[in-house]
Amino acid sequence: MTQNRTRQKTVGSSTARLLLGSLLLVAALLAGCPERKTGREEMTREERLRKSRKAARKVQKMVSTDGQPLVAWGTKQDVPPRPEEPQSLPKTEKGHWWNQEYAGWKTEKVNIPESPADGAWGKEIVLIRAGDHPYWTAYMKGFKRVADAFNMDVTIYNSNWNIVLQAQQTEQAINQRPDMIIFAPVDPTSCTLLLREINRAGVPVIASNTLISNEAMKYVISWTGPDDWGQFRMLARRFADAMDKTGGYAIVRHMPGSSCFFARTYGPITTFKDYGPEMELLAMNTANLKSAQTMELVSAWLTKYGQKLDGLILPGDGFSLTGALEAVQSANREDITIVAAGSSETGLQAVKDGEVLGITYQTAEGDGALACFTAAQWLNGKDLPPVRYLPKEVITQQKVDTYLPAQW
Amino acid sequence: MTKRWVHSWLRFILENGRIYLFVLLLVIMGSFVSSEFLTPANLVNLLKAVALLGIVAAGMAFVTYSGHLADLSVPSIIAFSGIMTVASLPLGLVPALVIGTLSGLVVGAMNGLAVGMLGANPILWTLAVSFFMEGFMRFTWSNDQIYPSTDPGTPGSAFVQLYRLDFGPVPLIVVVMLVLFIAAHFLMKHTRLGVETRLVGSSRPAAKASGINVKKVVFLDFLLAAFAASVTGIFLASMNKLGVFYLGDGYAFEGVTAVVLGGVTLEGGEGNMPGVFGGVLVIGLLTNILNYLGMGSFYQKIVTGSVFILVVWLHHCRPHAGGSSDA
Amino acid sequence: MHKGRITELFRGMDRHRALLMFLGAYLFLSLFAPHFFTFYNTTSLLKASSLNGIVAIGFTLIFILGELDLSVGAVVMLCGMLVPGLQPELGWAGGILCALLAGACIGLVNGLLVAKAGISSFIVTLGMMVILEGVMHIYSGGSSMSVASFGLADWLDRPLLPLLPPRVIITFALVGGASLFLQKTPLGRGFFIVGGDPEMAWRAGLNRDRYLILGFVICSVTAALGGALLAASLSSMTGDAVLATRTLMTVLAAVIIGGTPLTGGKGSVVKSYFAVLLLTTVSNGIGCFGLGFEVQMFANGVILAAVVLYEAYVIYRHNLLKGQRPHLLADLEQEQESNSRGSR
Repeated sequence: MTQNRTRQKTVGSSTARLLLGSLLLVAALLAGCPERKTGREEMTREERLRKSRKAARKVQKMVSTDGQPLVAWGTKQDVPPRPEEPQSLPKTEKGHWWNQEYAGWKTEKVNIPESPADGAWGKEIVLIRAGDHPYWTAYMKGFKRVADAFNMDVTIYNSNWNIVLQAQQTEQAINQRPDMIIFAPVDPTSCTLLLREINRAGVPVIASNTLISNEAMKYVISWTGPDDWGQFRMLARRFADAMDKTGGYAIVRHMPGSSCFFARTYGPITTFKDYGPEMELLAMNTANLKSAQTMELVSAWLTKYGQKLDGLILPGDGFSLTGALEAVQSANREDITIVAAGSSETGLQAVKDGEVLGITYQTAEGDGALACFTAAQWLNGKDLPPVRYLPKEVITQQKVDTYLPAQW
Repeated sequence: MTKRWVHSWLRFILENGRIYLFVLLLVIMGSFVSSEFLTPANLVNLLKAVALLGIVAAGMAFVTYSGHLADLSVPSIIAFSGIMTVASLPLGLVPALVIGTLSGLVVGAMNGLAVGMLGANPILWTLAVSFFMEGFMRFTWSNDQIYPSTDPGTPGSAFVQLYRLDFGPVPLIVVVMLVLFIAAHFLMKHTRLGVETRLVGSSRPAAKASGINVKKVVFLDFLLAAFAASVTGIFLASMNKLGVFYLGDGYAFEGVTAVVLGGVTLEGGEGNMPGVFGGVLVIGLLTNILNYLGMGSFYQKIVTGSVFILVVWLHHCRPHAGGSSDA
Repeated sequence: MHKGRITELFRGMDRHRALLMFLGAYLFLSLFAPHFFTFYNTTSLLKASSLNGIVAIGFTLIFILGELDLSVGAVVMLCGMLVPGLQPELGWAGGILCALLAGACIGLVNGLLVAKAGISSFIVTLGMMVILEGVMHIYSGGSSMSVASFGLADWLDRPLLPLLPPRVIITFALVGGASLFLQKTPLGRGFFIVGGDPEMAWRAGLNRDRYLILGFVICSVTAALGGALLAASLSSMTGDAVLATRTLMTVLAAVIIGGTPLTGGKGSVVKSYFAVLLLTTVSNGIGCFGLGFEVQMFANGVILAAVVLYEAYVIYRHNLLKGQRPHLLADLEQEQESNSRGSR
């Protein structure tokens, strides 16, 4: 038994020695820690500006995988005045959604840094992106092309749809003290505090892709990305035209917790109130963007409403579209008008085959490229509008070939 | 005479196919909700919607039956076999299908080795496998989705037709599900593997003591689950005409739900394949009815969750077999 | 003798494996990852671990009892949602209190179903997870909820002492307090007995049902607290259900890596916290290197797999030696060795 005790003592002390050793090592590290070499070329201000402007011209001539211009933007036609109490209006009224739809347009900016206006060439930027998805792979392609054109030093963080991780990565990004942070939020409202933190640290920030709340818009220089509301209004009008502004329709919704959950549902509903008042909303529900669930949902609607159902509005042209088409084809209801949010290969193919009336065009590569280009323009010293939208288009069978091959 | 006959039949149903009481209840409810409910077209649609879940459940039932709770790596196996099939299509349709199935079986073999031979905890091991398979797939295909070439005449075009084939009024996918269920039932009740699995699930030490090669049995059970997942993955890839790392999302918990609803208890050793089929039917019927009623998906979640707990609880209450019950 | 010493050393290392792995990862990254070894980054690391760390407290407790609670992620989201949701009417304190109360109720329901109705905890909490997700979405109307008042969030994140903002101090206090409760108080120690050896617990006069219910209540309350703290620190809570799944998976992995087995009867809240720190450090470090998320997923999987296999190995060794007396075996070995040496 004495053996036992000595053994235990050895164990205890060996573990303790290990702990002590590692703590000493940590203390020894206080001697020095590796710093990131900036590696920025030294050049005069004029030279940098010249190179940046040349790069900007080059970028604006670039073309994305599908043959469309890589960097292009549009804007809102006119922004109506904000209603007094948007929340008090009924959901079918456009005004109820003013804060979401026109986020950023009538917002007071806070503490926006001055641009150094010495060119974007060789600058250090950080991209914090929301997650992985084939759309984002295309986004990165476009982003990198523009960044390479400006010889930018890019660090990329991937938040993988996790708000806690995004908070941590925001702090890491601030720690790097880059020349610009481009921020694609995981969540439209939870990013407010993070953007505020970046703003307070004095780092310039541009938000991208997902519409953020009005409150968050205060802290960013600008926001670039798809005009979800505008696109879906455009799509809705085309849809209504195809249905002769009458008949019953159903909406499959996007995932809850995203801004698309509202934009892609109430965009059409509020448009139809004025544009197609005779159209009747039969049903709306979410299938969480899953194909089997969408198929089940649409099947149930088809059986329930029969010939009353003339049209379907879908939140996406991937799994959702596949499921809906399966249901429609099984029920031999190819007469139904279908529109969806695009634009992936599956959707473009469906439009080409005539199964779908139209999809919205959303250039993933352009999304990334525009974000990077806007950042570059600001660094070049240009004034930026508070919001910059990607070009809007409804792709129909006549036009579909100009949008192929698909970006993702 | 008749009373005893009815009594013994009732007892048989209550002990073996209790879930079918719910199926019957739901079918009756459905017929009240809509006149179209009992039409063959609607029923076929229903089966089509749950066919993939059914295949997954048929395979996973073996893992649960053997007392190993669940196989959480099923979503990644689905995605992996799907993406491998699409990637191998240039080699021809049949080679691609074989490669897809084999890829899934490889992961299943990994599971079987770790859990069966080495005794690792099934939930945690399969969770770890799902993590690193996801990481592996994301890395290898750069987080992108791959599309089969669907020009006429290529294996790709044949592949995407696979999901859309029909045997008359019945889709292929439903036929596959039914065939697999029948095969699984046969495996479970009438083969050595099935009987041994049952004993392993009921009492692992007893199984070992009676000379059963427990390691081999568990290994084969995980292979079966992986096989079912591979088949699902191939059909899912064919349905969506692409392969991507998140193809199988959600099938782990849904699969366990169907298996447990069907009466296969988590402790193992109890339940049967017709029960699992009944569980799958309950899920399909319930969702169909709720969609008919126009219930929002949030409320549907509350109903589905509650029904799940309720049904499993009712499974738990058993009619007293004469004699003492375990404390 | 050397072989015995090495085995003992390994066993000692294994007992503290979460802490050692965390320190190892921290060291490695400090040496090689740019921007890692700074006060700012370390504080950020500690803050990012607070959600999972707090949830892991309750989760460890449930594991000690030999049960599972799959609904923790959903509780985090639902109760977190209540905080910004109720803040306009009840203020931050009121909102957080309501969140905790909601968590307690949920835990009570879980506990009652498991203890009294006798349904497996896997089933109950799986069903509960789905139900709570639905409730959460109904409450928020399918969106995220936020308030434009940032006072509390600022206070929570500004360091009072170097490396220690209030959020981290709260996490430390909860972990420390839970650890003391479990190890020093009779009520806390009772959990180990109830989970490890139910028959012994019955003989000791401990009411298993009450312990189960209390365990589930504590688990849901800690999950609610974690969610409330997160919501307070961001002044908002996301409506995307993916946060629930991620929290569940990460906490599950962390508790296992920390050394608490699924079978119950032993475990340590502190070790789970170190494991949470480990996982957060790894993801932080991977970000510093600029590597993709797939590397992190892969790393998580490999770490968890290694731990699971090691545990299986330990059980295998334990079963081999079952019924044998290792000291006598070792003496026998020693005798044989000296005999064979002597005979040469």
